Amino acid sequence: MAKLDATVVYEIIVTVFLAFWFLITIICQFRNNTLSNFFKHKVDVFGLIPLWTFFAPHPGKRDYHLLYRDKITEDDYSEWQEMDITEERTFWSWLWNPEKRDKKILSDVVQSLVTMIPAYRKEELSLNLLMFSMPYIIVLHAVSQRKKQSEDVYRQFMLAETSGYRKETDPSLVLLSTFHQI
Amino acid sequence: MISFNNTTQLILLILSVGVFISAMEYIKKIEVFSSNGLLSWNVMQLRWNKHDQKPLLKPLSKLFNERGLATLFLIRCCLLISLLFFPMQSTLGWVLLSLLGLSLLTSSLVTYYGSDGSDQMTMLIIITLVICNLPGLSSPRLTEIGLWFIGLQACLSYTVAGIAKLVSSEWRGATAIKDVFSTKTYGSRKATLFLQKYPAANGFLCWNVMIMETLFPLCLFLPWPYAMVFLIWGFTFHFFTALIMGLNSFFWAFMATYPALYFINHQMPWHLF
Repeated sequence: MAKLDATVVYEIIVTVFLAFWFLITIICQFRNNTLSNFFKHKVDVFGLIPLWTFFAPHPGKRDYHLLYRDKITEDDYSEWQEMDITEERTFWSWLWNPEKRDKKILSDVVQSLVTMIPAYRKEELSLNLLMFSMPYIIVLHAVSQRKKQSEDVYRQFMLAETSGYRKETDPSLVLLSTFHQI
Repeated sequence: MISFNNTTQLILLILSVGVFISAMEYIKKIEVFSSNGLLSWNVMQLRWNKHDQKPLLKPLSKLFNERGLATLFLIRCCLLISLLFFPMQSTLGWVLLSLLGLSLLTSSLVTYYGSDGSDQMTMLIIITLVICNLPGLSSPRLTEIGLWFIGLQACLSYTVAGIAKLVSSEWRGATAIKDVFSTKTYGSRKATLFLQKYPAANGFLCWNVMIMETLFPLCLFLPWPYAMVFLIWGFTFHFFTALIMGLNSFFWAFMATYPALYFINHQMPWHLF
């Protein structure tokens, strides 16, 4: 009897927990409401509350490009180098696609940075504050690991966007960083 | 050896294929977690900027490096193989499943960037299976509740995606798929050329995705032959997103939910009486 009671109590606890999880998932589908922000940013440490709005309402229709260059002396700059953050699919990508890992990370970080830029401009926050954001630091960290032309260089990165395989629009500048000592 | 007739076991089996591939992909690209890598813990730990979080995260710095995470992903692969021999309803099977869940939760702390909806669906399924199969306290009713939760989350994911597309002028205007496929990030040159050659396909594909995703929960209620239409559509949809967009992990994570949808559909009164 005692075992049965424990089973029933456990059933109730699990049911309430799963119902709560399902409810929170529904609430968090609505971006930018107080409750959604609270759960997404304060509670959900492990990313257990999904956002199911895949490729909607605004599908990603631009490719982002990450470039960097070095200031060797006051008047001497290296050529812009591009970090490859987009990948062309291979025949086996539908099954085995390890290339997507690092490129997805950079692509996520860059898109996250791109999303943040208008907020910093709109709310009259100095764009310099963007330098303290997590995506900016990751991008800077990524470009700073690339081969340097000399020991003591200053590096600048640039984010640009293009329209992928269609060449209907010219590449455009998204963000130009300051020079950072690396 | 496990029985494939068991719905929860079938879910775990399908999911395991995706988790195994994903772990091997991370092992192949393990350098992203090195101190010079994109997901270097030196940088990623900045996400937790509160002082009370620091002591909790300190022990993890020993794990979150190339060697530590490679070991974690290898252990994950071993757990998945072991789960083929021990059903999750057994104590040892449940312990293996719990360790698998723990490894997923741990790595999620460092893969904040680069993870996607398939990783979330995977964790959601594994956690549900763990808590619904706790030895000594699990029951057939709890297993059913778990299957309902997995099935409803799958339906929610499709419906939310469908509604979000329906309110988008880019999707209604039938330009969304053409635009996505034209990017190097999620598209392909062949798909772009195909859509340029057959512009009518843009409208068909956009409305097909919007309607089927939005109406997907009907698969729970319709008589099984009609419900199958949605599941076959889902299979085709995920196969082509894997093929064209490289989203291979979505295929396994979402296919794993389909046995739960079958289970719920067959729980409907017209099947029971």
